[in-house]
Amino acid sequence: MDGATMIEWTAYALQGILILLAIAIVLHKNNGTIIILIASFSLVTASLYIINNAPDVAIAEIAIGSAIIPLIYVISISRQREFIVLDRAMDEFIFIGDELAGIGYVLLHRLAEYYHLELNITNDPGLCSLDEAMDRMLCEKTNVDLIVAKDEETGKYVFKGKRSSTLMKKLQQMTQPFDNIEVILFKDSEFGG
Amino acid sequence: MVKQALLLVLLGGIFAVFYLVTEDLSELYNNFGKTYFQLNGLLETGSRNLVTAIYLDYRLFDSFFEAGILLVAVAGIIWISKHDLNEKNAQFMLDRYKTPDLFITFSRIVYPMMLVFGFYVIINGHLSPGGGFQGGAIVATAILILYYIDHDRETNIKQIVTIEKLVFFLIVLVASLSLLTRGEFFTNFMPLDSSVASKAIYLVILNILIGFKVALGLWTIFTAFLREGR
Amino acid sequence: MNPLLTFIVVLIGFYGLATSKNIIKSVFSVTIIESGIILLFLNLGNFEGGGIPIVGESLTNIVDPLPQALMITTIVIGSTVTALALMLSIKVFHHYGTVEWAEVLGRKDGE
Repeated sequence: MDGATMIEWTAYALQGILILLAIAIVLHKNNGTIIILIASFSLVTASLYIINNAPDVAIAEIAIGSAIIPLIYVISISRQREFIVLDRAMDEFIFIGDELAGIGYVLLHRLAEYYHLELNITNDPGLCSLDEAMDRMLCEKTNVDLIVAKDEETGKYVFKGKRSSTLMKKLQQMTQPFDNIEVILFKDSEFGG
Repeated sequence: MVKQALLLVLLGGIFAVFYLVTEDLSELYNNFGKTYFQLNGLLETGSRNLVTAIYLDYRLFDSFFEAGILLVAVAGIIWISKHDLNEKNAQFMLDRYKTPDLFITFSRIVYPMMLVFGFYVIINGHLSPGGGFQGGAIVATAILILYYIDHDRETNIKQIVTIEKLVFFLIVLVASLSLLTRGEFFTNFMPLDSSVASKAIYLVILNILIGFKVALGLWTIFTAFLREGR
Repeated sequence: MNPLLTFIVVLIGFYGLATSKNIIKSVFSVTIIESGIILLFLNLGNFEGGGIPIVGESLTNIVDPLPQALMITTIVIGSTVTALALMLSIKVFHHYGTVEWAEVLGRKDGE
């Protein structure tokens, strides 16, 4: 077997692998696994570029497809598994001592379990110290999904979130039996506006 | 199920059309351009790498608008990911206590090598495979490694984007210099009858500018993403 | 190299784009289509026994450098467009609480 035929057969083999990888990417359910597949997909295409006598294109593909593309996929997929809650109530609703055990936490945990999300509760002083009137802006401009606050006059706990979110509709359903919890939905604004 | 079957039939139809097109592709595609580039490319542009000769000389408009699209995409990403509230310092998702020490040590060794390789690919773009686009991507990846070494690193995105805009205008300026020497836009500013070595000056300058442009653009993009991943 | 085998990759990307239920999945499909089309373009200029398009490196007939010059810009632009789409998907998630197409578009019959 001489060099030319060997390269030809290598090209056919790589194209077969490429088709298999493409089918796997399209049909696979888990987005996390697909990132590994897309990195190997880019590697196989880079080898095919070299077989096509295009070393310039292969360098560009390897430089971009090996680090930057997987990184941005990893970040955006990990972001889409999070549910960020800003705890402003600061009493036994969510935290009992240092433990996450309050009624509010149990509720939110159930919600997160339902949608397979990761609950991320912060009481970052920088965000908590802001005026309450800015809550709506806080929801729109940052990635905070839900704000937990306490109404001083009535003693009710207030959940504030975006009306457009499907998570908030589910939360409204779940909190109906509780008398001391109120859900406030901010008015829908145009996306990106 | 019916929808899927219809979709498969449609894709099969597209494939059949493509098969019929490739039958007489040789009538549409000819070798005149290729022969011209092979015979005159080195003498006219001073570049041994004919790919570089095309995107820096024959078709500089393409590269110019490519850089423009990069600038617009970066601006869009920054605008979409904009957070207004007290966010001067970027806090990155990389956790110092979770990253293995071995990884950090190897990053320290790899970082300067990648940076030097990226600059080599940029500067040598007219002689060997490489050039501004590829080298810029390699330099951007090297800067990405820097974030693993130094977790508390602060990046001023505003400054980077300002430099990027300046580099974009420099590209236009260098490309327009040929109006004075040759009387036409977007080509080499050395006269047509000068030596190959002197023509390479223009290629190196423009490769460096494009390399910086691409590296800064990709740097901005992944900084925006890392900031998003807090 | 067979252009038909490469075109199958493009068609798989189209299939994924048509059937994906998830925004991220659609972005993956666009990446696949892009790679397939780059391969098709490179295939156009390539022929058996050709050399890389660098004068002095290959004394024989070189392959066509024009498609390669076009495709380099495509790769860099493609990565930035992917980044833009992913950044939009992050914002869509925080606005609607989901990245499933059917729920984002408000359809309950999402198939």
